[in-house]
Amino acid sequence: MRVSETKDTPDNVTREEEEMIISSVDAILASYRGEKAELIPVLQQVQQRLGYLPETALSRIAAFTNVPESTVFGVATFYAQFKLVPTGRNVVKVCRGTACHVRRGERILREVERQLDIKPGETTPDLEYSLETVACLGACALAPNMVINNKVYGKMVESKVKKILGNSGDHNEI
Amino acid sequence: MVTIMRFSEVKNQAVLEWEAMQQGDKTRILIGMATCGRAAGAEDILDTLNNELTKRDIKADIIPVGCMGLCYAEPLVEIIKPGKPSVFYGNLTPELIPEIVEDYLVADNHRPDLALGTRGEGSLPGVPRLFDLPVLKHQVRVLLRNCGSIDPKNINHYVANGGYEGLNKALKMNAQEIIDEIKNSGLRGRGGAGFPAGRKWEACYKAIGDEKYVVCNADEGDPGAFMDRSILEGDPHSVIEGMIIAGYVIRAKRGFIYVRAEYPLAIEHLQAAIAEAREKKLLGENILGSGYNFDIEIFQGAGAFVCGESTALVLSIEGKRGMPKPLPRPRTTEVGLWDKPTLESNVKTFAFAPVIISQGSEWFASIGTEGSKGTAVFSLAGKVLRTGLIEVPMGITLREIIFDIGGGIPEGKKFKAVQTGGPSGGTLTASSLDLPVDFESLSAAGSIMGSGGMLVMDEDTCMVDTARFFLSFIQDETCGKCIPCRWGTKQMLDILDDITNGKGTIEDIDLLLELSESIKNSSLCGLGQTAPNPVLTTIRYFRDEYEEHIKELHCSAAVCKGLVKAPCSHTCPANVDVPRYIRLIDQGKYDEALAVIREKIPFPAICGYACFAPCEAKCRRRELDEAISIKALKRFVADNSNGTPAGTSQAISSSGKHIAIVGSGPAGLTAAYYLAKLGHAITVFEAQSKPGGMLRFGIPRYILPEKVLDQEIKNVLSLGIELKLNSHIDKVDDLINGTFDAVFIAPGLPTGRKLPIPGADLDGVIVGLDFLRDLAAGKKVELGKRVLVLGGGGVAIDVARSALRLGVAEVHIACLESRETMPAPNSEIEAAEAEGVVIHPSRSFTKIAGNGRAVGVECVNVEWMIFDEEGKLHIETVPDSEHILEADTVIFTVGQGMDLSLVSDVTGIELTDRRTISIEPETMATGKKGVFAGGDAVSGPASIIEAIAAGRRAAASLDKYLGGKGIIDEILVPPEEITSLPETEEEEEGRYRPQMPTLAVNKRIKCFDTVELGFTKSVAIEEASRCLRCDLEED
Repeated sequence: MRVSETKDTPDNVTREEEEMIISSVDAILASYRGEKAELIPVLQQVQQRLGYLPETALSRIAAFTNVPESTVFGVATFYAQFKLVPTGRNVVKVCRGTACHVRRGERILREVERQLDIKPGETTPDLEYSLETVACLGACALAPNMVINNKVYGKMVESKVKKILGNSGDHNEI
Repeated sequence: MVTIMRFSEVKNQAVLEWEAMQQGDKTRILIGMATCGRAAGAEDILDTLNNELTKRDIKADIIPVGCMGLCYAEPLVEIIKPGKPSVFYGNLTPELIPEIVEDYLVADNHRPDLALGTRGEGSLPGVPRLFDLPVLKHQVRVLLRNCGSIDPKNINHYVANGGYEGLNKALKMNAQEIIDEIKNSGLRGRGGAGFPAGRKWEACYKAIGDEKYVVCNADEGDPGAFMDRSILEGDPHSVIEGMIIAGYVIRAKRGFIYVRAEYPLAIEHLQAAIAEAREKKLLGENILGSGYNFDIEIFQGAGAFVCGESTALVLSIEGKRGMPKPLPRPRTTEVGLWDKPTLESNVKTFAFAPVIISQGSEWFASIGTEGSKGTAVFSLAGKVLRTGLIEVPMGITLREIIFDIGGGIPEGKKFKAVQTGGPSGGTLTASSLDLPVDFESLSAAGSIMGSGGMLVMDEDTCMVDTARFFLSFIQDETCGKCIPCRWGTKQMLDILDDITNGKGTIEDIDLLLELSESIKNSSLCGLGQTAPNPVLTTIRYFRDEYEEHIKELHCSAAVCKGLVKAPCSHTCPANVDVPRYIRLIDQGKYDEALAVIREKIPFPAICGYACFAPCEAKCRRRELDEAISIKALKRFVADNSNGTPAGTSQAISSSGKHIAIVGSGPAGLTAAYYLAKLGHAITVFEAQSKPGGMLRFGIPRYILPEKVLDQEIKNVLSLGIELKLNSHIDKVDDLINGTFDAVFIAPGLPTGRKLPIPGADLDGVIVGLDFLRDLAAGKKVELGKRVLVLGGGGVAIDVARSALRLGVAEVHIACLESRETMPAPNSEIEAAEAEGVVIHPSRSFTKIAGNGRAVGVECVNVEWMIFDEEGKLHIETVPDSEHILEADTVIFTVGQGMDLSLVSDVTGIELTDRRTISIEPETMATGKKGVFAGGDAVSGPASIIEAIAAGRRAAASLDKYLGGKGIIDEILVPPEEITSLPETEEEEEGRYRPQMPTLAVNKRIKCFDTVELGFTKSVAIEEASRCLRCDLEED
């Protein structure tokens, strides 16, 4: 089963999880003043902590920054960075920039899709991997590129994908 | 109580630290740790280096630095031993590190074989100076001066190298003085539009407001651009310093740097730099005791291309959806962030400011062109040899950037186009290569300067696919506020999807143009207004590619997935099903493999020996290591099957029609073969005494043995085709008015020509094709002791190698093209060189010297040459390079022509400007009813396989003309039943193609025996197993 890109509802979050979300969000909010302009940085911080933006978190952020919930939702869905569903422990981003495209980056994407059996925007059922595409990583000279968490892999070839995914423990350092 | 630091204190401290490091007795090792370095594996290099040093107890300082711009050579390390110039080592692997440590750090061998270049005083034997390398020689490094040389996380490095001097100077000037300085410098915004920076600063300075802001746009969203990232990672203080000066001018207290979240390293370095600057009192309250307060915050962009637009970016910082404000609207300099006057500029624009202030506007204005001053930073990527980051004076040509600095196109492929300005920009072609790169020239040519992305495309890039790619990017990134951009680009993308999937119609091209115009005119912001640009420029320059996709369902770059199953068979002019016969070889089924080839061509052996194999150039295996040896495998099958030509046994019922074919070359015989199979009676007329045309006299016997040729011709004729030799047709009218129902003329281009230069008529000056024809006919040919062949194509090589075999002592070739761009296949050039042929590339010929008999050819050296898209030649010669290449026999191989008597004065048949026969491309019909034409006489000099393809098309068309269905395809081997894709094993890289065994050079140059000996069974099966089976791939 794949975790699909549907809106998270409080219904599928347990009470303990909800409490955990609230305490994490509140801990982050404590270092902000509650201004409208803080919305995006707050969303970024919360997502960094929780891996995604649960609805409970969005409501609390809305109340804190004094921005209507609908607007918070609008901002969260506007920017590619924000996720409304849980992401995997490892986030694989395959670059789809022009240089990567010209150097056949879509073949790398297809191989990652095949290996993980998910499409961009999806997460593996074991929550180990999420797959995303990114407009450009800015490492065009070494195209095609992919990133796992913060580690960049340049001059990718299809045959390396499986091996790199297998070593996912090493991707966390930048 | 805050201590006020004076700049002199900051500077002294920095210089002390820097000089102590420079003059210390410790070795320093600089390692490029920017994103590109890391992507290439710099982290592993760093770990290995640390281990190796610890293991040997060597004391050295390792300093992570930014990107020098030589991304192609990453991972890159610079080793500075005290008292020596520094040495750069590139393309490092962890395995090389122990060697370098042992040889250069422990011993004193600087390993010239591995070193890229040196920097600093002195030199080292065998290693060039880094800045003398072509990649750096043409560069002028202003913004990149520190990148790769200083530790970006150490402010002292920046300050010791002149950093913050601009700010120190600015703080002693008044705002108007600074503005004037920026204005006088001629600096224009480097974000893309090129708005004069001084005017923007002045407008914001004059804008009324209690609060003002400085915003640095580092939302480098253009895919293919990475200049801003490199500067932020490698020299973050230069941007911060520029922002402080700008803030001081407009009296802002807060500045924001809007950086993409995709640039985590840039953010990290900026954060560190801001903290250091605050500590040194260069940022924050009372900067350097001036009483001016200014601080900078980093805002992480959350991933939206549209936020590169200034009004959208401002909204994003305010915490809103980044959607551009419609025009008319006040300028951001008046109503910007939180509706306050805001000075918003690109990273590079800010980074220029301190240098302009410290070195003066005059210095800056002395670089560049009239309208575009200073330098420009470009990220050079795509199909170019030396990818990376470069900084060049404005006004340099695209050719200098791509060929001199970038080193041209890898793997000898052809330059096709360069895309500047990303998705908002346009595509420029070879005819634009001599354009000076500046704001005005690029926009006049239909593209834009943009922020500096420069993406090179070669013959393997499909322009329709490229346009589709940019539109799908726009579709992802449109903010959705205005309909033209949101829905218009969707419609365009749908159309392009159709075209690249073979479902387009010819009207689609005009529809795209129409949509483009309305989207340009009615979109709210720059994103939508420029979104159609890639489509417009690709249609403008590459309309034929669009038409090819639509009409012929063909993608010549073999890219579009919807049209291309396997790039090899798609590229083959006759569409031979390459992967299928290679699989049959792998299974040891040689007869079946041969039959699969015969489904498309009647000459498997000839092609196996002599095809130029365009399939191999597109083989996907090249991405791993090397292309499959398709041609050699085809020959293997032809040599090793039992020879029973499969599929000739089908019953033929006579159509009662009689067709005349003029010329028994590959086009004529192929048409004859398929038409005979459809039951037509065929008579082939051949002017020479033996059949085969170019197959016989255009291909030397050491490539294609006579018995192979004779056998395959015999197979074709065995279908009951009548062959009339020594039958020169004077007038095609005689045929069509007589007994024949239709005529196919494929006379080829049997006549060579000389260049119209003085001396071309001297004794000893001959034409290559005449020479080859005489040789094939067994006539005696007189050559001198020193033969010079003029031309760089396949015929030149054939002539040279044949001359050598006739016992000529010295054989030379001179040609216009450079060695890398000679049209002859590289394998043949190499074989000729191995046999002792000397090649003199890049020469233009002015005269044949001699009195009565030729004694040599007067030449000048060619700096560069290129054919534009109209086929017109442009040459630049080297001044004072006149010289003579001596020769007593000069052989021209510079062009071919047709025997025009056949068609001259025939009503209806017309010639093209190139003096080839004009036909209706779809049917191959000439203007004369019942007369069709094909082969070289139509296409100009081409290859065997292209002639075969023309013969196939002609056969289908003639059959239709005579009332048939025009179906010539055959199934000689039942298609495989593939229920599931076999489990693909891990495909290893580095399985190179086997070497073709050849006859030893000393033996082969004395005779016309076949040079290539062919694969053995085990080699062939092993080679067949390298095939990636692209045709079975699922979508």
